[in-house]
Amino acid sequence: MNILIVEDNRELAVEVYDFLCNAGYICKIAHTCADALEEFNSNDYDAMLLDLGLPDGDGFEVLQTVRKTKSKMAVIVLTARGELDDRINGLHLGADDYLTKPFALTELSARLFAVIRRIHGFTLNNLTIHGFVLQLQDYKVSCNEQPINLTKKEFDIFQYLVLNKNRVITRLQLTEHIWGDILEVNSDSNFIDVHVRNLRKKLDKHAPIDWFETVRNVGYRINE
Amino acid sequence: MLPILVQNVVYHHINNSLLEKKKKFIEHLNQEEINDFIENPDDSTETFSEFSTLHNEFLVLSHAPIKPRHKNSTFSNDYRKIEGEENEYRILEHHFVYGGQGYKLEIGSSLSEVNDLTFVIRFFILIVFVVILLITFLADTFYIEYLLKPFYKIIDTKIRRVNEPETFDHTPIKAASRDFRELDFVLNQMMDRIAEVFKKEKQFISNVSHELLTPIALLKNKLENLLQNESLDDNAFDKIAGSLKTLDMLKKIINNLLLISRIDNNQYEANEEINLKEIVSDLQEDLQDRMDDREIHFINKIENSFVFLGNKTLIHILIYNLVTNAIKYNKPEGNIIIEDGFVGEHYFIKVKDSGIGMDESQLEKIFSRFARISSDQEGQGLGLAIAQSVAAFHHIEIKVESVINEGTTFTLWFQKAN
Repeated sequence: MNILIVEDNRELAVEVYDFLCNAGYICKIAHTCADALEEFNSNDYDAMLLDLGLPDGDGFEVLQTVRKTKSKMAVIVLTARGELDDRINGLHLGADDYLTKPFALTELSARLFAVIRRIHGFTLNNLTIHGFVLQLQDYKVSCNEQPINLTKKEFDIFQYLVLNKNRVITRLQLTEHIWGDILEVNSDSNFIDVHVRNLRKKLDKHAPIDWFETVRNVGYRINE
Repeated sequence: MLPILVQNVVYHHINNSLLEKKKKFIEHLNQEEINDFIENPDDSTETFSEFSTLHNEFLVLSHAPIKPRHKNSTFSNDYRKIEGEENEYRILEHHFVYGGQGYKLEIGSSLSEVNDLTFVIRFFILIVFVVILLITFLADTFYIEYLLKPFYKIIDTKIRRVNEPETFDHTPIKAASRDFRELDFVLNQMMDRIAEVFKKEKQFISNVSHELLTPIALLKNKLENLLQNESLDDNAFDKIAGSLKTLDMLKKIINNLLLISRIDNNQYEANEEINLKEIVSDLQEDLQDRMDDREIHFINKIENSFVFLGNKTLIHILIYNLVTNAIKYNKPEGNIIIEDGFVGEHYFIKVKDSGIGMDESQLEKIFSRFARISSDQEGQGLGLAIAQSVAAFHHIEIKVESVINEGTTFTLWFQKAN
């Protein structure tokens, strides 16, 4: 999977770059609108991460140019809240999704997974981890052909951890993924634990899950 | 003031006629006549008198000692009894010397008639005044109304109906007077300046979000990547996790402040149909986990399907903030009751908790930014400030009632449905 990262803040671009390369993507960075369009024209990308405030213009212009071509490339707009008049605006102009800054890298990878899966016509339908199979189209999990009854939230948590396997996912990241961008400051995120506990209980009935770790008092990690 | 003026004029007039009479009398005066007047010259008290038949005038000539340097003529008001009838008279007293003999001449003119006359004059003036006053009042009312028509038009179209500078109507108001055209022009100018300031603030908000949130994004991503480092010891791990939490707090504070300023800056549209019943049941689903965590019972007693125009995202935030507030300050195993209804044509929705409650001084500041109800509770106290802004944006009135240890009730009062 080829990803084009369009971000004028060089350091931020490098962090995203490192993260995505670690996750197995092949990435390239562009810092300006001109660079981005040049890269887009000369190479084939599956997805573009597009920052809106670029030094030589508005990221929307890049998006519009891209959408005028036949390219099926997925575009995720990265924006600071307040730059957009409304969330829907970006989607109207042809963005597949967008994330408000600051975003969690793990959230980025989950969104990236979803849009790439979508533009490839949902050919990838299963995720597997240690014998557990996640059926993405109908939110079902099974182990050795035996279905496991999970709630929507438990499934989302499981999928999120699997998509970001080998990484520590903090409670905060998990909470934000499940309940969205809660505006409330210092919202107590312990109630995510209830769902994780239930999820683990259900999985544990079918196979040992020592690969499903609780990392100190901070978060969780699924090891491959 | 006026009666005195009238009196003075009348007296002046009488004085003049008295002097005229005196002059005529003195001119035609000769010894014979004096002798005719005064039959017995030896008796100084003997006088000559002449009266008009109606007793409105009299003339008295009498002997008097010669008083040199005495003012020749003086005027006075006095009562005199003439032929058994007492009347008030204006009297001219004149001393003169004729043939070596001093005389005193008194000519009087009755004031009773004059008094009657001044009364009539005063009455007449009063009526004239009242009529003039009435005419002026009516003329003013109509004429001023006509004159001020452009003024009220300016107030109505240019000031009262303008909520946002962008919607300001720049068409000049037709006015006959130059002052109002000037006022209109200056108002237009002022509105342009305000619009400029609004635009700048929007720009500023946008800049702040970009310039502050990008570095936060950078820090957050760096720390997230750092957290994956296997060589981290436990202490470092905890510190990084702690920093991520602080960073998240910072992000939320900025986002909350941006939200408030965007609402106050009218950057949201309010044209979506909102069904409060749906919003409340959506919220219940969203917040069920948090309520379960504290074993709080959510009792939804909404009976009406009240629909109004507004901004769905903002109304969602408003109710969300009230409910999370009710969770946060509730007692474990407490209740949150949501109910609605109508008082007259006004719809209301109540969020009632069975929490710790607040006293008067706490109630006063709950809507101010960064206020919190008790010091041991977490939260940066922007939730209710946002609720207030959203409510004001939608012309909804928020009322709070609270009893310590019994709970707090927030009531949202909606405007009449149109």
